[in-house]
Amino acid sequence: MAQTDTRKKDEVLFVGIDLGTSRSSISAGNGKREWIESFVGWPKDFIAMQVVGKPVLFGSEALQNRLSLDICRPLEHGVIKEGINRNDEAVKEIIRHLIELSGPASGQKIQAVVGVPADTLKVNKLAIRKAVTEFVHSLMVVTEPFAVAYGMNLLNNSMVIDIGAGTADFCIMHGSIPSEEDQKTVLTAGDYIDEQLFSYLSEKYPNSKFNKNMVRQFKEQYSFVRDTPEEIRVEIPVDGKPVMHDIKNEIRRACESILPALAETTAEMIARFDPEFQVKIKNNIVLAGGGSLIRGLREHLQDALKEYGPCKVSCVEDPLFAGSDGALKLAQDMPSKYWEPL
Amino acid sequence: MISAFFRKKELRVRQEILKGIYEENLRIIGKKKGALLRQRTFSPNRLLLILCIAAIVVLAGGNYLDAPLLAEKQTAGGTVMRQLPWSAELPNPSDFKAFITNADVSVSRTFGLGVKTIMIDAGHGGVDSGTRGKMGTAEKDIALDIAKRLKSRLDKYGRFHVVMTRSEDVTLPLNKRVELAREAKADLFVSIHLNYLPSKPINIIETYYFGPSADSKTQELAEQENAGSQYGLGEFKEIIEKLGQKLKLQESRELAYSIQKNLFANMEKENGNAYNFGVKRAPFVVLLGAEVPAVLAEVSCLSNRQEEKQLNTEAHRENIAHDLEAGILDYINKGEAGYGADRYAEKR
Ligand SMILES: Nc1ncnc2c1ncn2[C@@H]1O[C@H](COP(=O)(O)OP(=O)(O)O)[C@@H](O)[C@H]1O
Ligand SMILES: [Mg+2]
Ligand SMILES: [Zn+2]
Repeated sequence: MAQTDTRKKDEVLFVGIDLGTSRSSISAGNGKREWIESFVGWPKDFIAMQVVGKPVLFGSEALQNRLSLDICRPLEHGVIKEGINRNDEAVKEIIRHLIELSGPASGQKIQAVVGVPADTLKVNKLAIRKAVTEFVHSLMVVTEPFAVAYGMNLLNNSMVIDIGAGTADFCIMHGSIPSEEDQKTVLTAGDYIDEQLFSYLSEKYPNSKFNKNMVRQFKEQYSFVRDTPEEIRVEIPVDGKPVMHDIKNEIRRACESILPALAETTAEMIARFDPEFQVKIKNNIVLAGGGSLIRGLREHLQDALKEYGPCKVSCVEDPLFAGSDGALKLAQDMPSKYWEPL
Repeated sequence: MISAFFRKKELRVRQEILKGIYEENLRIIGKKKGALLRQRTFSPNRLLLILCIAAIVVLAGGNYLDAPLLAEKQTAGGTVMRQLPWSAELPNPSDFKAFITNADVSVSRTFGLGVKTIMIDAGHGGVDSGTRGKMGTAEKDIALDIAKRLKSRLDKYGRFHVVMTRSEDVTLPLNKRVELAREAKADLFVSIHLNYLPSKPINIIETYYFGPSADSKTQELAEQENAGSQYGLGEFKEIIEKLGQKLKLQESRELAYSIQKNLFANMEKENGNAYNFGVKRAPFVVLLGAEVPAVLAEVSCLSNRQEEKQLNTEAHRENIAHDLEAGILDYINKGEAGYGADRYAEKR
């Protein structure tokens, strides 16, 4: 045992990974932080292989070459099944790629904590572990909002709302590892906004050509709820000619479409606790995930919950890495004896 | 005092949580807590591990001794092909003498010994007719007929395994053809097509191997012949750069010369308007898959009225098949007999 206790820091690289439906990131003990979009593409045939020049592509590079590739967004539907749709393979590729990006020194053992959307973890615990295990020495999986909470030291009397692409995950912390009761998932999140925006825009401008990708970019650039003084106009080709389109109202409506479910779920989850505890949680609500970047969202939620008494909502500073940073912190804090059997 | 108390409490909470995660993960993999923590102290496992490592070291030691011998054997057998310094860009004709007297090349030319599987690709097919003559003759039909004739001619030697990408009038995408050539492990790949030149009443014979092409006519033809693929010309620039090193361009070029020479010599006798357009490079998708000599021959020209008439006679189609056969055999024999170098230099 003396060996394990005196092991040098550099023999082990701790990594925290956020495996997201739309973006995945890694934070490593060596200071590296990297992220990719959670798309994996494999060349369709031999020619495609020659065109793209590699056996597997990721993120935006995969999207750019999508004509030549079979594309997979593995966590999109929340289920990973071996051999179906190559989902498990895609998860493996993402993990392998992220670990490569973190640049471990040769011979370094990798001890990883992987954060996964709460719903995905519920049904795929073993599948996720299997997919990741190949590339790491020891592994622990946790739910994504929990990793965020741990990283921000929100261990007690707090609530994290992680608004991602496929899902918004809620997690209440009360001094122990959250049970299934303490966590909830709703499907009104980023992708849902995209769908709404797409249909609003197609309705308003039937002659303009939109696609899902464009619409998502509009959202990410201009998202807001309630009001904003600026004008929101974008250039879209109509019959080959670029035409300015006013999309302000549609952006607002689409972003606001997730508000009722967010406020209701939050209120409902908090209501299960003692009144004294409720007050504490309500003063400690943190928004995370890409959706937390929607302007005015924090204020709206705070006002909506005031109905039930005073309340304070804040946002994580760096939604892209909040999950992986938290997972890294977990990995570093974990006593070494816990790592061994895993 | 108070802050110390809270710090202690927080620490306890943190430890509780870390333990919770650990136990949860143990449950996922179906292990019980406790049993595992003890397992580390088991010495039989350790012993086994040490034995395994020892065994690996012994085995690896043996391999190290063998390795140099093996490498030498390969070189002596002449199957090792070193990369030519100019393999991405072929030598211009004045360099050619140096090219063929280079020791590396003579090694690579023993390649001919290996020709067992020949793949014949009849261009177009099914919904894709290719070009069409004024009398309605379709490129796909003539190409298939000549391909079949060529196959049976080559089959007679008994030493080749001759395969066709298609033996019927079916639609076959280009990437599928490439795939077929790879699956069949073809040693040679010959794609048969017919030209069309609306502006001039001539009969053009030309043979292509894969590579970049500067002239716009060739680009146009490539675009036409690549129509069945999903790839644009822009993408080819990249492919060419990437594949330049890998494709057997030297051999493909020789095969192309060999076929072109035979095709034209005979065509000239039959059709006074026959023009030798020679051997060219063009980015044809269908030549991409094979990392073996691969050429595309435009064996005739459907826009020439006299030629279209003749193509409708069996004798003419048989002649073309004969010329292709002669071109292929010339190429193969050159490699086998090792007498190619002089003859080749002469021809230039
Ligand atoms: N500025 C923004 N405004 C609104 N939505 C955004 C913004 N930036 C990113 N998003 C959305 O956030 C979602 C991705 O968030 P993320 O937390 O990375 O998701 P996941 O964890 O599911 O991968 C996507 O739907 C993306 O479009
Ligand atoms: Mg996430
Ligand atoms: Zn053709």
